[in-house]
Amino acid sequence: MIEIKLQKALNGPEGPMMLSLDIAIDKGKLVTLYGPSGAGKTSTLRILSGLLKPDNGYIAVDGRIWLDTAKGIDLKPQERGIGYVFQDYALFPHLTIRQNLEFGLKKSQPREVVSELIHIMELENIQDRKPNTLSGGQQQRVALARALVQRPKLLLLDEPLSALDFGIRLKLQNYLQEVHKTYGLTTVLISHDIGEILKLSDWTFKLHHGKVIQQGNPTDVFTQSSLSGKFKFKGEVIQIQQEDVVFVVSVLIQNELVKIVAQESEVKELSIGDTVIVASKAFNPIIYKIK
Amino acid sequence: MKFRRFSVSLLLLAVLACRPSTEVKLTIAVAANMQYAISEIVEAFTNKTEIQCNLIIGSSGKLTAQIKEGAPYDVFLSANMKYPMELFDDGLTTAPPKVYANGGLVLWTQSDQIVPSLTSLTNKDVKHIALANPEIAPYGRASIQVLRNLDLHDTLVEKLVYAESISQTNQFISTGVAQIGFTAKSVVLSPDLKGKGKWKTLDPKYYDPVQQGIVLTRRNENRDNSPQRFFDFIFSEEARKILEKYGYSMDE
Amino acid sequence: MNWDPLILTFKLALVTTALLFLVSLPLAYWLTYTKSKFKPIAETLVSMPLVLPPTVLGFYFLIAFSPNNFFGNWLDQTFGIQLVFSFWGLVLASMIYSLPFMVHPLQSGLSGLPNSLKEASYVMGKSRFQTLVKVLLPNIKSSLLTGIVLAFAHTIGEFGVVLMIGGSIPGSTKVASIAIYEEVEALNYTAANTYSLVLFAITFGILLLVYLSNGGYLKRFLK
Repeated sequence: MIEIKLQKALNGPEGPMMLSLDIAIDKGKLVTLYGPSGAGKTSTLRILSGLLKPDNGYIAVDGRIWLDTAKGIDLKPQERGIGYVFQDYALFPHLTIRQNLEFGLKKSQPREVVSELIHIMELENIQDRKPNTLSGGQQQRVALARALVQRPKLLLLDEPLSALDFGIRLKLQNYLQEVHKTYGLTTVLISHDIGEILKLSDWTFKLHHGKVIQQGNPTDVFTQSSLSGKFKFKGEVIQIQQEDVVFVVSVLIQNELVKIVAQESEVKELSIGDTVIVASKAFNPIIYKIK
Repeated sequence: MKFRRFSVSLLLLAVLACRPSTEVKLTIAVAANMQYAISEIVEAFTNKTEIQCNLIIGSSGKLTAQIKEGAPYDVFLSANMKYPMELFDDGLTTAPPKVYANGGLVLWTQSDQIVPSLTSLTNKDVKHIALANPEIAPYGRASIQVLRNLDLHDTLVEKLVYAESISQTNQFISTGVAQIGFTAKSVVLSPDLKGKGKWKTLDPKYYDPVQQGIVLTRRNENRDNSPQRFFDFIFSEEARKILEKYGYSMDE
Repeated sequence: MNWDPLILTFKLALVTTALLFLVSLPLAYWLTYTKSKFKPIAETLVSMPLVLPPTVLGFYFLIAFSPNNFFGNWLDQTFGIQLVFSFWGLVLASMIYSLPFMVHPLQSGLSGLPNSLKEASYVMGKSRFQTLVKVLLPNIKSSLLTGIVLAFAHTIGEFGVVLMIGGSIPGSTKVASIAIYEEVEALNYTAANTYSLVLFAITFGILLLVYLSNGGYLKRFLK
């Protein structure tokens, strides 16, 4: 159980704002922070890790107090024993992959921890290479492996998958799910991808302008908002094909490719790569149970 | 652009406005130790002849090198005879140099605790003794001769600090980084420094005279006789009085 | 040919560079990461030797080191140290004179590194010092090299300050640049030329080596 109460005045992209949270995270859960950029998600992770000091706050992890500004307690990042995967991965460029992992070893830890992680994350073939020779997905895997070397109880991930393309993202989601279970972690993930959140997380906090505006089971959180309106999805134009008199536009909506029939006049303004909204007014949805 | 043109014309205006009414006729290169006396001599010379003079003050070595490279000096007043002699040997002067005065050497201190004298040099309060570099400055050579002639050189060698010119020697002494030092008598008698610190004249028998030499360069040799008139003036009774006031002596 | 001034020059440059590195590293680190309001003042002070003529520095050293003044007197009374006309005085003066040449490359190297490298190391339990030595420094190698070489070269080329506070004492403050100046003043052009050529050749060699290794040429060359 992690209790987090904090206040911190921040300078967001839209001017000053107050990050003000009072949340609790159950042990062993994978929770996500969701919200527009500038909502305070990264700052929350940084405060949790000790890299950023809140103006006021109280953080207790399994009964142990990490931060209590009223009592002047503030554990350094070094003392909190967390795993942190940075948005830019923060791999050390001068070390090989294996050395990057070994960097995190505590004195008391056996070196086998590193070999084990290399095995689990399938890094054997690249372990002697330097980070800048790796693809984004490979670097991501290394960053995740490195964050686990010290066997943290709490794993923090700052939008680690956003820069990767779709196929690799799926694969990494699986890795993440696997290590989360294997190591009995409590994981806090920042994500913008609703599909990812639905797939991975047990609980979601929706942040806006420094406050939690909604929290709960991700299915509840995300379906609720779509219930209010008609069916409406944002997607990206992948392909435009002419078939007889009509056009078929392929749109990628989250992970699904959807084909939509369109008139020539509608297609004229579209080109590949455009972000579009696919909406339907008169529509009769059918529902299937998948789980 | 407009602004630049404006500032250029402003500059021109300033230059024109500052132009002296009579043109500078004579450029005199003069060794640093002579700078105080020479301004007074030049003033007297200009009053008498209405010939304007321009003074270039530097170390004798630097001025010699500049003349060798064609610097536009008409008269050269050196603090020794060696350099002007070299210029003569190179065919750059109208005649061999002539001695017009001998410089006096003094010990000068700014410290209240020290009474300037040759015996005070061994005093433990004296940590550094400033002198001009004997290799390049005539007063430095004279200073070393004094120390050697009195068998003081080897005892004091650890205390000696060398300045690149007589001006820098004065700097070392006046800021107190060197407690005492050898400098030209003309310095301590100059209006600026008169009464600052204490000094003692050293007996000329301990060192070769610091001969001040004058030569006329071959530049504009046939232009007019103003260099020659200055040359004559410096040997006149009037100039002699000024030189004596600044501690220089003449050969009789 | 008297080699002392040349040997002294390299000794001065070596000692100055080594001590300057030890001073500049914490200073550059502080300047990079501080949010103190004194930072602009500190940065300006560090850059001052770039714009001030050496004579100004020399003049102030002369005043400061003089036993007539508080600082010089205090050093003399307390530690028996006299900085004027001494090798260590030249070292101190050279350190201040070359300060920006060491601090600037280090600072720009450090601020060029992503903050997350440092933070990743903290999160993995490493102290600030361990992080500096094991993560930050290995990733600014070329900045380190640039700073060290610039400070070294700048100290070798130093003249104005040394002239003003050195006193040209053989073996202790008469460095090559002073020796060259004096030979030129004494119209001994041959000796001046010899010193200059040796100085030129050695510094050319050092700088060339740096440019080669920084460009990766050295590695290819040695293979």
